[in-house]
Order: sequence, then C-alpha cells, then structure tokens
Amino acid sequence: MTEENPSPNPAEAPVDPLFTHPASPFLRTEAPAPVAFPSPPNAAPTPAIYSTWVIYRTQIEFGLAILAYLMVLVGSVNVLKANPDADWRYYVAVLPVAPAGFVIWLFVRALSRLDELQRRIQMEAFGFALGTTALVTFGYGFLEGVGLPHLNWTYVLPLMAVLWGVGTAIFRWRYR
Amino acid sequence: MKNHLRVLRAELAWSQAQLAEHLGVSRQTVNAIETGKYDPSLPLAFSLARTFKRQIEEIFEVEAG
Repeated sequence: MTEENPSPNPAEAPVDPLFTHPASPFLRTEAPAPVAFPSPPNAAPTPAIYSTWVIYRTQIEFGLAILAYLMVLVGSVNVLKANPDADWRYYVAVLPVAPAGFVIWLFVRALSRLDELQRRIQMEAFGFALGTTALVTFGYGFLEGVGLPHLNWTYVLPLMAVLWGVGTAIFRWRYR
Repeated sequence: MKNHLRVLRAELAWSQAQLAEHLGVSRQTVNAIETGKYDPSLPLAFSLARTFKRQIEEIFEVEAG
C-alpha cells in the first residue's frame, strides 16, 4: 500500500513490493527465465518391473526347453536299450526331435526380438564361429591324415557354440 | 558420422536406458550410437528425430573428409 494514494479498500490496494522504497535493502531482480528445455515426450516413463521372470524370460524358457530335450533324449535311449528289437523303436528314436525343434523355435524367436545392433553383433559372431570352426576342423582333418587320432563328429557343434559365445563377447566389446 | 545425441538427451534429462526404452532398443545400442561406433538405420534415426523433435540433419552430421 502506497502512502500517496491510499485505497479505500485495503484488500484491493496494490501490494507494495519490498524494493519500491528507496531506502529498502531489497534489490530488484529479474524473475528467473523459464527453463528452455521442452518437457519429455513421454513425461512419466513406465516403471520397469525388475523381476527375474521378466528379465531372464528367454533364458529360462531356453534352459527349460534344453532340459526337456535332455530328459526325452535320455528316456528314449533307455527305452531303446531295453527294447532293441521292438517294431516301434523308430518312433521312440525320433522322439527327441520334438523338444529339439522347440529349442530351435525359441532360438529363432529370440533372434527376431533383437534390435538392429544386437543383430549385427550376432551376425558377426556367427560368421566368426563358422570361419574359425572351419579352420579348426580342416586343420585337425589334415593332422588326422598324418596320424592324429580320429575325433567324434559330435565335437563340431559344441566347438561352434563355444566359438559363437567367444565371438559374441568380442563383437559386443567392440561396440561398447 | 557425428551426432549430438548426448547433448539432446541431457536436455531432456534422460538416461540412456530411458531413451532406449522409449525407442524400443537396448541401452547398448543407444550407447553405441552416441559414441559414434554404430550408425542407426533410417527408421531408428527417424524415431530419434521424432523423440527430440528435430530434423535428422540437426542430430547427425557427416564428418568432413
């Protein structure tokens, strides 16, 4: 309220800022400028649910499918050992293909869910695994020719899987 | 390619993980784009442009030479 022009109604009188009086210790300052940043397009990001199932779902499903495959495989082998001459032995022998097919389906699904950089990393890792496996198997094949013992063919796939893992680690590190 | 992703992301005060979730990619991919180790695909570049309300040329620029 100013002294020169007292308002009849004190409620309608303009509020006297502290810095209008010459003797006031308060300095007039500019109001802070509004922040120039736009608000995020997605103002409230949805809270992530950090449960084991949500984070490791693919891995858990994959592990369970592998377990199912091993169980069917062992069961099939045991049944075949007990009934080597049965007419239905072909059906039992081919039974583990079903869970193995499920494993492959999960694998392809997991690949299709990767984003573009992860796909590139996997492609490079597969290429690395294929190339190094070719090198190792050819190299050992030549060594077998001059007398090293013959190795079972089933070592090829685990070797490729290990090299795929190594390749994934290498190329993931390169894009870090 | 050079890009101003880190600055734009800082303006929104977003973490890499938040931006990654918004774009539907992994945090590693956002980091690789920011550090210039990976050039995003055209659809992802357009998603980035929409997210930051900029033109693609304002976010990415070809390095001289």
